[in-house]
Amino acid sequence: MESAIMSLRQSIMKPIITARKLCKKYGKFKAVDRISFEIMEGECFGFLGPNGAGKTSTVRMIHCVSPLTSGTLTVQDTAAHVDNRTIKQHTGVIPQEITLDNDLTVSENLRVFAHFFDIPGQEAGKRIAELLKFVELEKKRDSRIDQLSTGMKRRLLIARALLNKPRIIIADEPTTGLDPQARHLIWQRLRQLKSQGVTLILTTQYMEEAQQLCDRIVIMHQGRILKGGVPMRLIAEEIGREVTEIRAGADQDEKLLAALGPLASGHERVGDTLYFYCGDGRPLMKKVLELDLPDTVHRPASLEDVFLKLTGRSLIE
Amino acid sequence: MNFSYRIVYVFWRNLVSYKRFVLTTFLASLIQPLFYLITFGIGMGAYIGYFGGKPYLYFLVPGVLITSVMMTASFECMYGTFVKMVHEKLYDSLIATPVSAEDAVAGDIAWGAFRGLVSGGLMMIVAIFMGILPVSPLSVVLLILLMVFVGILFSSLAMIVTSFAPNFDFFNYYSELVITPMLFFSGVFFPLDKFPGWMKTLSLFMPLTHAVAISRAIFLGEYTRGLIFNFLVIFVLEAAAFLIGVKLMKKRLIK
Repeated sequence: MESAIMSLRQSIMKPIITARKLCKKYGKFKAVDRISFEIMEGECFGFLGPNGAGKTSTVRMIHCVSPLTSGTLTVQDTAAHVDNRTIKQHTGVIPQEITLDNDLTVSENLRVFAHFFDIPGQEAGKRIAELLKFVELEKKRDSRIDQLSTGMKRRLLIARALLNKPRIIIADEPTTGLDPQARHLIWQRLRQLKSQGVTLILTTQYMEEAQQLCDRIVIMHQGRILKGGVPMRLIAEEIGREVTEIRAGADQDEKLLAALGPLASGHERVGDTLYFYCGDGRPLMKKVLELDLPDTVHRPASLEDVFLKLTGRSLIE
Repeated sequence: MNFSYRIVYVFWRNLVSYKRFVLTTFLASLIQPLFYLITFGIGMGAYIGYFGGKPYLYFLVPGVLITSVMMTASFECMYGTFVKMVHEKLYDSLIATPVSAEDAVAGDIAWGAFRGLVSGGLMMIVAIFMGILPVSPLSVVLLILLMVFVGILFSSLAMIVTSFAPNFDFFNYYSELVITPMLFFSGVFFPLDKFPGWMKTLSLFMPLTHAVAISRAIFLGEYTRGLIFNFLVIFVLEAAAFLIGVKLMKKRLIK
């Protein structure tokens, strides 16, 4: 049923962004290595990956601030390149770094940006008032940037990205360094935008964020796309429904695998923990109780498991 | 090269931010040239007395005017631009809008020239209060145009330096090795004709020499045919520096 709806959706919607064998090199370093993907109009598409996976390099090419090394990239039926002002005119960017203008106040920041998009003065005033309300910063309109908290700065970046009423919004790790309240507020706003029909492109290393927001994701690692799809289906395909973590030394592997292995669809050892993946964890948990293994966690499978399984659980540097 | 009318927006952004520190910059850009006027002009001028039939200050003021344009424009496009580019990442957010990298850099060069004009203009007002007047109202207009013209030159040269500056300290090389020698070898404080030949030749390679020559001619209303050469040197250098500066900055901004 779900897949039928998805294929129906994809046949109705046409891609707003298409990448074919897209490459980005910095000197000899390959940041993005021949990736292909399509982003549909109106969906939220997530690029997931550890630091240095090539997520930011990819989205920078989409919003035309970084030239392609090779491959093709089409955004709204035009080829993306650094001098494409049309794409920039219709794209809103929420950058990873806080790039607000510290010499200006909150409303001046928006006012100056409205100019960059050729928005006439009166219209700009109206939009600025609306957007400050949208991100709950009305009371801060005349504050200077250094008087804002990190969460407020991030919200102002969202308001700034919306000034030109973009059809595509690129959010590059929009909640990095935020407390849970601020993070949830930003998620709500992003979902609200999506419900208005905006195409949302998200990069993140927080799996929860991807699960909360994205219709489809791709998992990137070392410049390549490892896997892509609907988050829930990816979890089901790669991991199953449930995960059992047993903290036990490697010396016990033989014993544990003999007892539990047949009840699980897969297993993995990382450091002091043995992971078992399964569709239905009940038989396995029964066995765990029989064996009396107190240091055990049983939980639903998450995108984080997929991510760690694909990119490896050891530290990536 | 991808220029558009959006250069004006970048200039306007600088103007909006300028209102917060306009007074401090007035002071900063006045102090050094004022010292020159007082120490050299009044102090030393008292010993020198008349100079080509006029008090020494008439020789000094047009040179100091142009020097203050050079200083302010250079520093704005070094320190000012560097802060905006590296510390505040302002260029990164600019180039994500329909403003191109070329627009952004050209807007900042125009801004540097404007800051130079403000400094030079303030000096001219101070000089007028001291009773040292340009020869006619036309001279005032021409001097203003010259200050903008020279401002663009030094802003563009500074932009080239900024395009490969790894940090603030790097700017010391440019100010110590280029700006300071120009100050003393370009005929700002005394005529160059007593210099040995090789020094005269060297001074011809300094853009300030030509700018000061034009400034002095306009201030005193004494035009000669040699000024065409001075003007051409600045014009050619300026066009080259502008294009190279924009190109190198774009290379640094877009990766």
